[in-house]
This record gives sequence, structure tokens and C-alpha cells, in this order.
Amino acid sequence: MLTIDIRRLCVPAIVAIACCLHSCTPVKPYQRAYLNDAAMRPGSTGIEKFDINVHTIREGASGGGNGKVSGGCGCN
Amino acid sequence: MKNRYFTLALLTSILHAHGQDSAYRRQRISRTDIEVLFGYYTQDGNHSAITGGTGTEKLRVYSPEFTITHYRDSSHTLTLNGGVDIISSASLDNIDFLVSSASRLSARTHGSAAYSWKLRRSNTHVTVQSGFSVESAYLSLPLGVSIGHSNPSGSQEWKASLECFFDDLRYGWISKEYFRPVGLIYPAELRDTNWFPNYRRNSYNFSFSFYQAVNSRMQMAFFPEFVYQKGLLSTPYHRVFFNGSRLTDRVEKLPAERWKLPLAVQLNIFAGTRTIIRWYYRFYHDELGITAHTLQLEVPVKIHTEFSVAPLVRFYTQTAARYFAPYHQHELNESFYTSDYDLSRFDSYKAGLTLRYAPQRPMSPGYTFNALSLRYAWYKRSDGLAAHILTLLLELEHTRNHPLHEGFDQKGINHSD
Repeated sequence: MLTIDIRRLCVPAIVAIACCLHSCTPVKPYQRAYLNDAAMRPGSTGIEKFDINVHTIREGASGGGNGKVSGGCGCN
Repeated sequence: MKNRYFTLALLTSILHAHGQDSAYRRQRISRTDIEVLFGYYTQDGNHSAITGGTGTEKLRVYSPEFTITHYRDSSHTLTLNGGVDIISSASLDNIDFLVSSASRLSARTHGSAAYSWKLRRSNTHVTVQSGFSVESAYLSLPLGVSIGHSNPSGSQEWKASLECFFDDLRYGWISKEYFRPVGLIYPAELRDTNWFPNYRRNSYNFSFSFYQAVNSRMQMAFFPEFVYQKGLLSTPYHRVFFNGSRLTDRVEKLPAERWKLPLAVQLNIFAGTRTIIRWYYRFYHDELGITAHTLQLEVPVKIHTEFSVAPLVRFYTQTAARYFAPYHQHELNESFYTSDYDLSRFDSYKAGLTLRYAPQRPMSPGYTFNALSLRYAWYKRSDGLAAHILTLLLELEHTRNHPLHEGFDQKGINHSD
């Protein structure tokens, strides 16, 4: 069985995020061609909705920008 | 003399321009996005919570759903959503009031409506939403409000939401024998005891999202949330079998309060001219003692202007809830207990592929075929549960021109609010 310790990946990821935020540059409206692409939208995409519902039900964790964290069916 | 000619020319051009203006019909364009989603899910495992952490978890779900989003103008948006989940499960046999067949069918019906409007002369949107979700042993009524703001350049955006769910776990809501709530449903052999006096569960979700364009090719988002739940958090038809006791079994019992703390970050990068990297990480911790980490990577590649392929991988790990123990391993002196393997310690892996065809082609006057997407994912949990998830999404768009009345500007913004 493949085992990956995600926690070990978190520290470099958080450092990378901090670096990204530190290097924010202003983006003019005419420079948004790439950012406006449908696949660049933050949050979950429309087709992910069903997958997220499955994860909400089948896993202890939920929420974090996608799907509902509680309430409704699924007993979460 | 020159001045006279110049004045005459200016006057003529103004009159001409005015004449041209009057030829225009000022219009407001409304747009309606139509999304039709069909999901199919199948799983198999050997740790059903209904039979105390052992037994088949075989399950199939068919889930058609539609979403209609109507943009009346640039300020007002109405969203309607509805759908049904048809569930075929072997273990549902063990929770029905009635004698049931080898494989029972159950259904969940849900609907919601949201209305959003833009505050005058600002980039701030307010949204209110409500709906329902009902199945035979569950009724949920959500109520939510959110406020969002983006800066003028659109490079930064935040949104704060509060959503409340008022749930009722009694059986009979859409059962053809009752069509009214008749009480909590317990396992057939445990119905001589009223295990829970309360049948309500209230949930309060506070969520915040923050988007930031890092540069012209990179976008980042943060999603901190806080959830508080109160009421009946146990599932009354989940059995628990205790150590050394053949006759004494009970229904699952969890604390009456629970908080959850998910914190997620997303980074989207447009690399080169065809490839997008979508990276997502979530940390989660809750009152039951579950700590979880989720990492997902999806890479949409544009094979053609209309066609893209997006492979994805997802890793997830969680610690067990402090009240979890497997079949026959709980002690009778414990205050809280569950044998639901969704709350056990496990890792899960998911791999999948999304195919997206987005021609954005007009079909008939006013209608545009925006996109068709197909997604398949294989999901495996380290406790043996395996699942297949298939999703089909059809996206259409309808636009309509409306003559512009007094009070609207050319952008369609209503200043008479």
C-alpha cells in the first residue's frame, strides 16, 4: 500500500505559499487573460461537486472552501 | 472666418453624433446559465456502520441535479438548484421499519434558492439563500447569508458567510407509508428503548474565503471555516457491539456538541500556454479528535482550443475519533462509542481524469452550448473500501436582450434601487 505522510509535505507548501504572497504584483485588467480562464477559478469546479459530496460523507473531515461542512443528509 | 467654419463643423458633428445615438436602442442583456449534472457512485467494503462495523457496505447512488443561475443584469442574480439522489444499499435493509427486500432503494430530494445583489456603487455583493433536503429519515432546512467584496481591479476578493442548518432526524418524511415524521428509527432488535430524547440537530457554519491574484499567471485562495453543531449528532440506526458481550448491543452514541475547524489553501498556476496546475491543501481538526490532511493536485491541459484533459490525484489521511473502536471492541463502561469506519483512522487515495469539451457554440437564437465535461475517479480507502465516481456535466447558456427603461445605465446597472 502506498503511504505518503502529507504532514511532511505541508511545511514546504506553507513556506511556498508565504513566498508567493510576499511576491504579489498588481495585475491590470488587460493582464487577466490567464487568470480569467475557467480552470483558473478559485474554489471547486462545477464537476467536482459530486466528488466533494462523496468525500463529505465517506471521510471525517469536510469543508475548506468546498461543499457543506455540516447539515443535510450524509450524517456529517 | 476659420473660426466660423470650425464652429459649423463642430456643430454638424455633434448633431450627427446625436442622430446616431438616437438610432441605438439601449438594452439590458440578461443571461441564464443552465447546468445539468449527473453523478454515479458505487462502493464496496466490509465495515458497515449499520451492522456495527462489520458487513457489506455495498452501495450505489444515482444523482441527477440541475442548477439555473439567472443574471438579471450586472447587479442581481437568482440561483435555483434541485436534484435527487437515488440510493440502492444492502445495509439500508437493516434500518427500515418494514420488512424489506434484499436491496432497498432510498431517495434524497433537495432544492435550494439563492438571491444575490450588488450594493449600489460598490463591488460588494450580498447573498441570501435557503432550501431543503429530505429523505426518509432526515429533513434539513438551511438558511444562509453571505457578503463578498472585490477590489476595482478584481485582483483581490473576500467573502464571509454564515449558514445555519436545522435538521430533524425522525423517520417517515417521504416514506410512502407515513409521509409524516413518526420518530427516530433504531435497529429492529433495539426498538424497545428510546435511546435519544432529542431528534434535532442544529449546525452553524461560519466560513471566510479570500482570493488574491499573485501575478498574471498565479492565483491563491484561503478558506478558513468554523462549524458548531449541537443536538443529536449520533446516527440512531448505527449499531455498536461491545467486548465480551454477545447479547448486549447498543446504538451509536456521540457527544451532543461538536466543533470543526477546516482550513484550506488553493494555488492555481497557469504554466506555459496550455497547462494549469490546481493545487489544494486542507487541514482539519474537530471536537471528536479527528485531525485530517488533504492534498489534491489537478492539471488541466488544453489539447485544443475546445478540448482539455485534466488528470487528478488526491491524498487524504485522518486520525480516529476518540470514541471509535471496531466491532466487539468497545467496553461497556464507555460514555460515548461508535463503530463507524468513516470516523476511524485511515488514509485514502483518489486518481481520476476529467475530459472537457467547451465549444461555446450557438445552438439556436439565444442559446449557447458552453461545455460538456466527463469525470471519472477511482477512490480507495486503507480500510478496504473502494469506490468509483462518474460525473457528467452539461453547461448551457441563454441570453436575452431587454429594452432599457429609465433608471438603468448602459451597463445595465439599475440606479433606481
